[in-house]
Amino acid sequence: MTLDDLIQRPQYSVPQAQKEAVLLAELTRLGKSHRERSPEYARLARVMFPGSADPQNLAALPYLPVGLFKERLLSSVPESEVFKILQSSGTTGQTPSRILLDRETAQLQTLALSRIMTSVLGPHRLPMVLIESADLIRDRRQFNARAAGLLGMINFGRDHFYALDTNLELLVPELKDFLRRFGGGPFLVFGFTFLVWTRFYQPLVEAGLDLSQGILIHGGGWKKLQEQAVSAADFRAALRKAMGLTRIYNFYGMVEQVGSVFLEGEDGYLYPPNFADVIVRDPYTFEEVAPGQTGVLEVLSALPRSYPGHCLLTEDLGVVQAIDSPACGRFGKAFSVLGRIPDAEVRGCSDVIATKVG
Amino acid sequence: MQIEILLPQQGVIALEELPGLLAGSTAADPFHESVVEASVDFSQRIFRDAEARGHPELLALAYWMRKAEVNRLSAQFRAIQLDHRTLTPRGIVFHLPPRNVDTIFVYSWFLAALTGNRNVVRLSPQRSESTSILLRLLRESLASAAEPARSGTTIVSYHHEAEPTKMLSALCDVRVIWGGDQTVEIIRRSPLAPHAKEITFPDRYSLSAIRASAYADLSEEKRDYLANQFFNDSFWFDQLACSSPRLVVWCGSGSETHAASADFFPRVAGCVERRRYVLPAAVSMQKLRYTCSAILNSPVEECRRYKGLTVLSLASLAGFQRSHPGGGLFVEAHLESLTDLAPFLDRRDQTLTWFGFTPDDLHALVRRLNGRAIDRIVPIGQALQFHRFWDGYDLLQEFCRCVYIESTFQATRPTPSDVGGGS
Repeated sequence: MTLDDLIQRPQYSVPQAQKEAVLLAELTRLGKSHRERSPEYARLARVMFPGSADPQNLAALPYLPVGLFKERLLSSVPESEVFKILQSSGTTGQTPSRILLDRETAQLQTLALSRIMTSVLGPHRLPMVLIESADLIRDRRQFNARAAGLLGMINFGRDHFYALDTNLELLVPELKDFLRRFGGGPFLVFGFTFLVWTRFYQPLVEAGLDLSQGILIHGGGWKKLQEQAVSAADFRAALRKAMGLTRIYNFYGMVEQVGSVFLEGEDGYLYPPNFADVIVRDPYTFEEVAPGQTGVLEVLSALPRSYPGHCLLTEDLGVVQAIDSPACGRFGKAFSVLGRIPDAEVRGCSDVIATKVG
Repeated sequence: MQIEILLPQQGVIALEELPGLLAGSTAADPFHESVVEASVDFSQRIFRDAEARGHPELLALAYWMRKAEVNRLSAQFRAIQLDHRTLTPRGIVFHLPPRNVDTIFVYSWFLAALTGNRNVVRLSPQRSESTSILLRLLRESLASAAEPARSGTTIVSYHHEAEPTKMLSALCDVRVIWGGDQTVEIIRRSPLAPHAKEITFPDRYSLSAIRASAYADLSEEKRDYLANQFFNDSFWFDQLACSSPRLVVWCGSGSETHAASADFFPRVAGCVERRRYVLPAAVSMQKLRYTCSAILNSPVEECRRYKGLTVLSLASLAGFQRSHPGGGLFVEAHLESLTDLAPFLDRRDQTLTWFGFTPDDLHALVRRLNGRAIDRIVPIGQALQFHRFWDGYDLLQEFCRCVYIESTFQATRPTPSDVGGGS
C-alpha cells in the first residue's frame, strides 16, 4: 500500500498495524527528504535524535515541538516554489506560526480533507450554513487559521449562507429562509465550536427551529467552553434538544498540519484518517505511553512536503481510548483531546509581576 | 484605594493611612535584643512547625536565621565598626520581593531588621503555601516580641497598582527590588526621596566550573556526593533561582573533560529520579522547544536527554546566549583552564559554583575579570545558601548609614584658617 492508497481507500478502514507499517515507510522517506532539503531540520534531527535515520516504529521518528514554527520559518522548498504562507490565528500577544506551502502540499491537503469530509457528508455538495460572518474571508490576503479552515470547508457545500453579520450577531430571518429552502434534506452546518455555542445555539435555544437534517461540523477547541463549564456531552445534548441536531462531528486539527483533520466518530472519540496518526507521550520522558494514559499529543501526517511538519509534538493533552475497536465502524486509534497543557506557575527570582506605574 | 495589611495586624486600610501606620514605630539599635530574640524565635517556630517541615526551602531559611548565625552576624557587625565610624540604621527599608521565590523576602527583611531598620514588605496577593506559612509564623513571633521588634515590621499586599509603590518609595530610606530587569525598570518610575538609596537584584545568570582531572580523581562515592550537591543547587527552585547553575564549564584537556561530563550528568539524572523531582509538563515542553531553538541558534554539538535532564554541549562559548527555560537544562562547554572563561563572562553573571580549583585559580579569575562579572564564588552545593554578601553587596553594611566621628579635639594643632591668615 502507498500513500496514494491510504488517501484513496475509505478513511478509517485500515487496521492500525497495517497503517503503521505503511506510515513508517512513508514518514521515514519523507523525513529523509526533509533532511536533504531543510538544513535546519537536518540539524535538529541529527543533534536531538541521533540514530533516528532508520526508525523501527512511528514513535522513533524525530518530532518537533509545534511551537518551533512560531520562532522559525522552516522550509523544505526553494522560495520560488512557495505557493502560500499559512498563519495560525494566535491569541493576542503571541507570535503566530507560519507554515510554507508549495502547490503539491496544498493540493494534498485539499484532497485529504475532501476524503475525510466526504466520509461523513457523502459525495455530493450540500447546502451549507457557515457560523461566520462573510467578512472573515473577504480579504483573502489575510490567511489566518480561522479563515483558512473556513475556505477549506467551503468546497464541501453549495448555496452558502453566512449566518452571522459583521458584529457576529445571528441573522435569524435569513436563517429561517435557508431552512425553508433546504431544511427538508441534508445540509451542512460548519463553524468554530465557541461561535456555534454562543452565536448560534444560544440565540436559538427557545426558537424551536428544526435542524434535524443538518450535519454539524465544528472545531477550534473547547477551552472557551470549558471556562463556561460546557462539556462535549452537554454540547451535543443541548443542540439535540434545542434544534433536533443529532449528527454532530467535532474536529481537531491545526494550521501546522492542515488537511490532517481528526474527526469525531459517532462514539464521540476522534479518529486519525488513514494517512495520519497520533502518539501520546509522557510530557516528562517523552516516551510513548500506553492507551488509557494521558500525555502530550504528537500528530503525524504524510501530507507536509514543503515544510518539516510531518511529526509534531503539540501543546495539547490527550489520551488514546482504544485501538481498532470499531464501535462506530472506524479502525485505528480512537482518542480524546483533553485541552492545553496547563501553564506552569513560574518560580525564580526574575519573574516578578509587571507592575504598572503611573 | 484600599490596601491589605498582613502584619502586624491583619486588616484593610485606606492608602492614606499607611504613612501614619509606619510613623508609629521607631528604629532599633543594631542587633537590639528584641530583634535578635524575635529572629531566633521565628527560626525556631519554622523548625517546629509541622507544615513548614514539608518545605525544605523554609528549613534552609530557618537554619540560616538560627541563633549561632545571628551571633556570628552580630560579631561580624561589630568587626565592621571602625574607630571613626559608627554604623546606624538607615530608617525605613521597603522590600519588593519576587512573587515566586517565597523565602527571599525574609532574607532581606532579616538583615535589614537586625541592623535596626524598620521594614515594609510588599507581597503579591497571590501567595504560595510557603509564603502563607512564613507569614503565619512571623506574625506569631512578632506578636510575642518586645518593642521595638514588635512593631518594626509592616507587611502590605496589593496587586500591580502604582500608588502604594509610589507612596512607599517616597517614604522609605532604602528600597530593595528583587526581580527581573523589567521589574526594576518599572519600579524605578516611582521616585525615591533624594537621600534614599536602592538595592536591586535584577536578572542574573549563574554557572558551575569543574576541573576534569580533579573530578577523575574522585571515588565513586564522592562523585555521587558532588552530583547530589549539584542537584540541590540546580533543582530546588526548578533551576530558576538566579544563583542556580545553568552553564557547566569543564576545564582540562578535551578527552578528560568529555569523560568527566559523560560520567557526571548520568549521576545528576540519577538524583532527579531518586528524589522524584517532577517538572510541570509546561516547563518540560518549554525545555524541548528551547532545546530546538538552541540547536538552531547556537553551536550545539551534542544534545543528551536524560530523564528530567537535558545537556547541550557547545562547541564554543562565543556569542553565548543566556536565555534559559529552567527545569533541568544545562549548557556545557569545554575549556583548557578556568581563566579561559573570563572573556565570555559579563555583568549578568552572578554565582560561580566550583569544584577542583585552588584558591589561586579562583583569585586569578576574579583579578582577570576585574569587576566585569561574577559576584560570588562558592563550592558546588552552596549556590542557594544566602549570605550577607550577595550580588556584590555587603548587606550588613548596605542597610546602614555610616556616621563619621572625629572624637578627639586637638586644640594645639594649627587649623587651615590659622595658617591661611583668615578669610
